[in-house]
Amino acid sequence: MKAFTALTAAELRLLSRDPASLFFMVAFPLMLLVLKRGDSGAVPGYLAMIAAIGGMGALPGLLASYRERKVLKRLATTPISPVMLLGAQLVAQVAAGLAGSVLLVVVTIAVFGAQAPGDVLMLAAAFLLCSVMACALGFVVAAVVRNTRGASLIGMLVMFPMIFLSGAAVPRKALPGSLRQIGDFLPLTPAVEALGDAWSGTAAVFPLLILAGIIVAATAAGAALFRWE
Amino acid sequence: MEAIEVTDLRKSYGDTRAVDGVTFTVRAGETFGIIGHNGAGKTTTVECLIGLRRADAGTVRVLGEDPARRRRALAHRLGVQLQDSSLPERIKVAEALRMFGSFYRDAADWRRVMERWGLRPLARKAFGDLSGGQKQRLMLALALVGNPEVVVLDELTTGLDPIARRETWRLIGDLKTAGTTVVLVSHYFDEIEALCDRVAVFARGRAEATGTTGELIARTGTASLEEAYLALEGADR
Repeated sequence: MKAFTALTAAELRLLSRDPASLFFMVAFPLMLLVLKRGDSGAVPGYLAMIAAIGGMGALPGLLASYRERKVLKRLATTPISPVMLLGAQLVAQVAAGLAGSVLLVVVTIAVFGAQAPGDVLMLAAAFLLCSVMACALGFVVAAVVRNTRGASLIGMLVMFPMIFLSGAAVPRKALPGSLRQIGDFLPLTPAVEALGDAWSGTAAVFPLLILAGIIVAATAAGAALFRWE
Repeated sequence: MEAIEVTDLRKSYGDTRAVDGVTFTVRAGETFGIIGHNGAGKTTTVECLIGLRRADAGTVRVLGEDPARRRRALAHRLGVQLQDSSLPERIKVAEALRMFGSFYRDAADWRRVMERWGLRPLARKAFGDLSGGQKQRLMLALALVGNPEVVVLDELTTGLDPIARRETWRLIGDLKTAGTTVVLVSHYFDEIEALCDRVAVFARGRAEATGTTGELIARTGTASLEEAYLALEGADR
C-alpha cells in the first residue's frame, strides 16, 4: 500500500508539472465556460471532456513513452507489480480530472450563479466511471500502438471526434442528423448523458451500467494486447 | 554458500540462440564479473537472473529461489541496474530515491544513499536535466536503495568520466566490504580486474571459462586478462 501511494503521488506530481495537462484539464474548460457566459447546461459535457482529454489524449502517449524509454522495464525489476503501476497511472489521471472538474463546477456556481447540481453523489459516480472508461480506452490505444508518437497521435484521433460527436464539446442537438447517429455508437455519449442527468437531478442507472460494461470490455482487451516492452 | 547458481541455461528468440547452455555459480559475498562481446548472451542471462525473462531450459537459482516463479519476493533482496533504462523526464532525484525506497521491505534510508552517491546537490534536479554520468549515478543509487543482498549491474560505468568511474569503483568496493554479492557485466578489462574476485568469459551464448583473473591468464598462457579473453573468445572460430 505504501508503494502504491508513493507511486500515485509521484504520478500526480508529474502530471502537475506537465503544462499541457494543466492547460487542457484545468484552464481550457474554464475558458470555454467563460465563452459560454457561464451556461451551466454545457458543464456536464465539459466534465466528460476533461475525463476524455486525460484518459485518451494524454495517457496513451505517457504509457508508450514509459515503455519505449524502459521505465516500465526498470520498475519491473523492483517488488512492485506492473499492474500496480498502471493502477497508479489510472488513479492519478482520475484525481487530476476530478480536481479540474470540481474547480469548474465551483466556478460555475460561485462566479456565474448557477444552481448546484441536482444529485451530487450521482454526478461524482458518473464522473468517476467516465474517467475510468476514458483511461481504459487510452490503455487499449497504448496496447495496440507501440511507439510514443504513434500512441499520442492515435489517442488524439480517437479523442477529438469523440468529444465533438458525443455532446461533450457541443450539444448533440446542434449536430446534423447523420453525425448525431454516429454519436449513438460512441462510448463517451452515455457518459455525457449520465453526467447531464445527474446535474439536472434526474439520474438514471442505465447509462452508468453501459459505462461499467465498456470499462470491463476495454480493460480486458487492453490487458490481452498490452506488451511491457 | 552459493548466492547464484545457473545450470545449462538456454534461451532463444525465434531462430536466434541468445543463450546456449550457460553454467556458472556466484558465491555469497563475491564480486563476480561477466565479460563478453555484444551478442554473447550477457544481457539475456542477466534478465533471467532478475526474473524479467523465463528460460527455455536449464535452472536458475538466486538466493535459493527461482526468479521466474518468485520474482516479486526475490525483488526485495535484489538490486538491479539495467542497460539504458530510464525514469520519467520530470521526476526529481530526491523524489525518485524516496519512491524507490518505498517499494522495498528493508529499504536503506534514501537520504543517506543520496548523500553517499554524491547526489545531494542534484536532489531537486529533474531526471531529464541530468548529464549522462549523473543519470548513471542515480540509476546505481536506485539499485542500492532497497538494501539488497545481491546486486546486478549491467554496464556499470559506461558513460562515466574517469573520475566518476574511480569513485564508482570505490563505492562498489564498499559493497564488497559490507558482504553484498555483486554481479558486474562489463566491457572494461581494467574494471573487471580491479573489482572482481572471479570472472566468466561469455562467447557464443556460453560461459567459455570461469575463474580468477590469474587462473584465466595461466590457463591460456597469456600475459593479461585482455589477452586471455581474446584467446578464449576466439578459441574455436
